[in-house]
Amino acid sequence: MIWGLVAAFALLAVGLYGLLALRNLIKLTIALQLMMKGGLIAVVLAGDAVGQRGLGESLGVTLIIADTVAAVIGLALAVLVRRRLGSLDIEVVSKLRG
Amino acid sequence: MNAALPVGLLTLPLLSSPLAYFVGRFSGRRHGLAQFVALVVLLVAWAMFVAMAGQLAAGETPQFEYGMIAFRLDGLAMYMAALALGLSTLAVFFARQMFQARAGSEKYYAALLALTGAMIGLAGARDLFNLWVWFETMIAASYLLVVIFHDEALNLEAGFKYVVQSAMGSGLVVFGIALILLDTGTLNLDLIAQAAPHSAMAAIGSALCFIGFGVKVAIVPMHTWLPDVYTQSPSVSSAVLAGAVSKAGLVGLLRVTAALSAAIPWADLFMLFGAASILAGNLLAFRQRDVKRLLAYSSMGHLGYVMLGIGFGLHAGQTAGVYGGLFHALNHSVMKGLAFFSIGAALYLLSRPVGREHGLRLDDLAGMARRCPLLALALTLALFSLAGIPPLAGFMSKWQIFAAGLAANSPWVTALVVFAALNSVLSLGYYLPVVNALYREGASEGQTRLPLPRLMAIPLVVLSFLIVLLGLWPDAVRWLVAPASVLGG
Repeated sequence: MIWGLVAAFALLAVGLYGLLALRNLIKLTIALQLMMKGGLIAVVLAGDAVGQRGLGESLGVTLIIADTVAAVIGLALAVLVRRRLGSLDIEVVSKLRG
Repeated sequence: MNAALPVGLLTLPLLSSPLAYFVGRFSGRRHGLAQFVALVVLLVAWAMFVAMAGQLAAGETPQFEYGMIAFRLDGLAMYMAALALGLSTLAVFFARQMFQARAGSEKYYAALLALTGAMIGLAGARDLFNLWVWFETMIAASYLLVVIFHDEALNLEAGFKYVVQSAMGSGLVVFGIALILLDTGTLNLDLIAQAAPHSAMAAIGSALCFIGFGVKVAIVPMHTWLPDVYTQSPSVSSAVLAGAVSKAGLVGLLRVTAALSAAIPWADLFMLFGAASILAGNLLAFRQRDVKRLLAYSSMGHLGYVMLGIGFGLHAGQTAGVYGGLFHALNHSVMKGLAFFSIGAALYLLSRPVGREHGLRLDDLAGMARRCPLLALALTLALFSLAGIPPLAGFMSKWQIFAAGLAANSPWVTALVVFAALNSVLSLGYYLPVVNALYREGASEGQTRLPLPRLMAIPLVVLSFLIVLLGLWPDAVRWLVAPASVLGG
């Protein structure tokens, strides 16, 4: 149980670090997925630990749907960026400042 | 209790969202039918809202329960429903001319309806599970509003930032919910409030929820998506995002605040981050040359006033501060909605290509008063009200926030009131040049002789009227805001 939570927070930390450090749009989407999977482990574990396994697992299934939506839209935007600018590098894409 | 009305208000916009899409897709009549369907749906929803407002005033709370799912339209939920319905109805009026019947604009109405339904659901949810599901649905629907036109690479950049940061916020909320579940063994907001947890785990869970919902409210360190998204999305979307979606994030946050009131010092958090947002929003707005970006940063500052007001209320344990904060949030929806609709109309009159939203400079607005007096007057009213000039709506709500703060009789809170009032004066420094540009002589390049379409004029007139009305008679919305400011009620 406690190790499960540690694993969940480790995934959260890896995901957050990835969001800050990576420059490729697809890798950013992967980092986001890692973070959400940490959340998935956390809710399922929490539901199990308080004796409400059904609640935790149904929240987990909903979470899978939600992060798939985010991934689909993120990847779709990455495809459009690549077509328009010929690059997936965030430094090339990033023009909005200030 | 009759459950048909709350179920109807929740499901009607959601279920008719695909209908609007298919009607627009296959009618082939330049999407007029999709707009019509959306308008009819929203008007029916308004009728249900009015009926339930009557029930609420008579002392009964419209609600329904099905197994674990509980949905209750209390004061705060009705407040949010009014904001969501109001902004989307006006956006439906505005959208068609703005998109000039471009292929694909029928998706806009579908997304707008889904977004409205999701915001109403979020406001009425009685447990953290449903709260999060609706929050996520709302975010998913708002993606399409932001990147509906992606001809410009800048729109894609803003869209990607929005997707990544929104999803991150929602992920943090999930973590928070997991910790709260682990600590209290339930997700029902009423049961959590009874348990009044104050363990370290509940504190971390609350803090994660604060950050996660804070991304949508754009509280200061979580604001980086806001200027890009408000600038790059169509002005109609910016109006809905600033007017309704940011308030939905706030409502989610207030639900967690009310349930876990003992977990962390909420009042201090609200006041601290509110003051930081005011300062950052104002200072960053000064540097902007793009009018939409300026409005985006000012939006951040105004959400700061709202947070500050709620913080005053939580600090003193009174509803006066919360009332001031929520009243200012309502006024902000009206003012910022009007400002963004006016900018959208200005872009239309300058005949910018559809989807090219950024780069509206002060000089482009020159001579707009002669060209279209209604638009210039509407934008001027919005900006004066945002700056807090009496007797307009923005002044009245800021006044109530400051009065609530001064009533607390605490030196720190008084200092914050002075700080916020000084910032309010400071904000004149960036609003006034815009008004000056509007009334300057000489026309800018690209101004056409097109008249302002009537459908575009409707939202401008309605919101201008509301700004003056709420300024002269602030109690006109007391029936809506007062029940909402009883947190946890």
